[in-house]
Amino acid sequence: MSFNGPIEESFPTPADIDRSTVSHLQKGYKISARKLPISKSGTIDEMEKKLGIPVPEMIFGGNMVSIEHVTTGWRLEFNAYDALDRVDKTDRNMLKVAYSQEWSSSRFDGVPFSHDPANVLSREKTHEGIKEIVKPFDWSYTTDYKGTITGKPFELQKDNENPIPIELLKRPDPILFFEEVVLYESELDDNGISLFSCKLRVMPDRMLLLCRLFMRLDGVLIRIRDTRIYVDFNTGKVIRDYTEREDAFDKVKQALLSSGRLPNDLTIALRDPNQISHLVPEVSHTLESLTLP
Amino acid sequence: MSDLDRAIAQLRACRPIPEAQVRELCHKARELLIEEGNVVTVKAPVTICGDIHGQFHDLMELFRVGGDVPDTNYLFMGDFVDRGFYSLESFLLLLCLKVRYPDRMTLIRGNHESRQITTVYGFYDECLRKYGSANVWRYCCEVFDYLALGAIVLGASTALEPSKQNVPASAASTQDDVDSDIEIEVLSHDGSIIQKFPRGKARGLIGQNNSAAKRSSSPAAKTGPPGTGASGWSRGSTGSSSGAVLCVHGGLSPLIDGVDKIRLLDRKQEVPHEGAMCDLLWSDPDEIDGWGLSPRGAGFLFGADIVKVFNHANDLSMIARAHQLVMEGFKEMFDNSIVTVWSAPNYCYRCGNVAAILELGEDGMGESAHARSNGDVNRSDGGIMKENERVLLAGPARRYRVFQAAPQDSRGMPAKKPVADYFL
Repeated sequence: MSFNGPIEESFPTPADIDRSTVSHLQKGYKISARKLPISKSGTIDEMEKKLGIPVPEMIFGGNMVSIEHVTTGWRLEFNAYDALDRVDKTDRNMLKVAYSQEWSSSRFDGVPFSHDPANVLSREKTHEGIKEIVKPFDWSYTTDYKGTITGKPFELQKDNENPIPIELLKRPDPILFFEEVVLYESELDDNGISLFSCKLRVMPDRMLLLCRLFMRLDGVLIRIRDTRIYVDFNTGKVIRDYTEREDAFDKVKQALLSSGRLPNDLTIALRDPNQISHLVPEVSHTLESLTLP
Repeated sequence: MSDLDRAIAQLRACRPIPEAQVRELCHKARELLIEEGNVVTVKAPVTICGDIHGQFHDLMELFRVGGDVPDTNYLFMGDFVDRGFYSLESFLLLLCLKVRYPDRMTLIRGNHESRQITTVYGFYDECLRKYGSANVWRYCCEVFDYLALGAIVLGASTALEPSKQNVPASAASTQDDVDSDIEIEVLSHDGSIIQKFPRGKARGLIGQNNSAAKRSSSPAAKTGPPGTGASGWSRGSTGSSSGAVLCVHGGLSPLIDGVDKIRLLDRKQEVPHEGAMCDLLWSDPDEIDGWGLSPRGAGFLFGADIVKVFNHANDLSMIARAHQLVMEGFKEMFDNSIVTVWSAPNYCYRCGNVAAILELGEDGMGESAHARSNGDVNRSDGGIMKENERVLLAGPARRYRVFQAAPQDSRGMPAKKPVADYFL
């Protein structure tokens, strides 16, 4: 892992960016991935100003994955900034942590929450005014980002007839290029996790990219939002499959127990979207495609 | 070699000690910690550290960079456990050192030193995996309940002493020329100087939000060098004592307007979901006016005015806290009235951030300089004092040592390479 650089040094430099990017050329498609350390304070301040919301504490602002069609210049990229720009910046979709009720009722409903003289003394005068929520936004960093298209503006069109050919992807074709790139991660102030990451695999004739948001708010909710990009290099067919899954935390936990999980394994399973995604019901699904010339 | 020294040697090699020994260690630690107040008084010199999070090899790197125990006095501001792979070894080593050198090691509680949080974030699973039962986790949690909530560092000098550790030949010449007017020095892991800030000029320069520094530039201008009359506490000469430094894991609480209020809390319990104790371990500074509620529906945020009024009322020159990841290892905010120190490099083995520790030197003035009353009611203005009436105490001279994660080969595990899998 590279050094985040002394404080005054501008990082990453173009050379760092170059060094951190890996690419693979396959049948006219250039597939790239860039992995850098988390962004520095200066970059974060700029991002927050432009986005209008605080960014997650683990923000990989320089990371990206992309698929480029070399002859036309059509390019599909996944990056943290564009993903965060699609997070709700209002208070309309704000979740509350599991113990929020307990936390706020003890402070604001007039019932003394402590017999501690230190608390009771200062409580009246110091507490009353604090009711304003600072910078309301969807702090779970849930996004419906499906990638950024640049270059030649070929748009993906709705197409329910052509799902991703799973059987072809199950074949053990050699994997020529594989990368896993985190775009952002938040620990939600130790109330769970919100992780937005991509992984991709390139085989001789096709590739699959999975960009996943995994959001677990402990005791409250679990969300998985998957964007899958399938490219058939021989036909130029690009398929985008976007699925939203969501369920109450306790329901997923129950489903794990019913599937034979031991109680001691639950926390580990609840950290891994691969172990639970099939237990979380689908709430939304769209299919799009385009054929590159 | 005593059993304790043997345990220390074993843990330094990152090997867990037997369950029976953990039990005995935790028992001894509890007896020691129960005697400590909620706010421990610590005398400079001391090295202040932030979150460790079970990154054992990076903790060893921290000791290498900052000096070994007992040669260096340490104050760890909590979050020893969870997330990293070696929470158990990290915490038990720190605890052993605490029991072995009680006056040279100060451990205060972080929000992760809790039953509920460790169950979710890894420490519980780690204990179960390494011992086959939750007993060791239980012993550790009982110790957590006795950890102090904060510490006050007294007698920190306003002038930097020459650096003792790790001065390479190339950097030695710059170290000889000790500049008493340096307020902040940033050193790399090998002791070479990254940055220096003269007193009074440090504001707005490092890791801070510049807009905040500009917004409240008037009180900053009043915090002149010692002897300018800007500081009521300054002794006006090189090496004078700064105001005290309060160390706490998270931050302030609207229920706490004085350090003495912290002393009155009943801390010997699981970290509650509400109340002053919860706030001290959970709250965060933010660029706001006054107090605010976190959008998460629990937890407070506090602005520059809150910190300045609190520091003034309590004869503090600074608050040191941890709790939030900062890429540069440390971040001073609000005209240097509060600093976040982060000591887990390459956090979660993938963030690529650097870590830092904060060294405060001693003023060399002996006990007399430490007499003070924290939270003197007459000095408290109840928060109504106007901005321009506030006088900030001279900040201690601060030496930040910035360091990177321990080399991969020292961890005894292979670098994590992505394994190609046939995901769908």
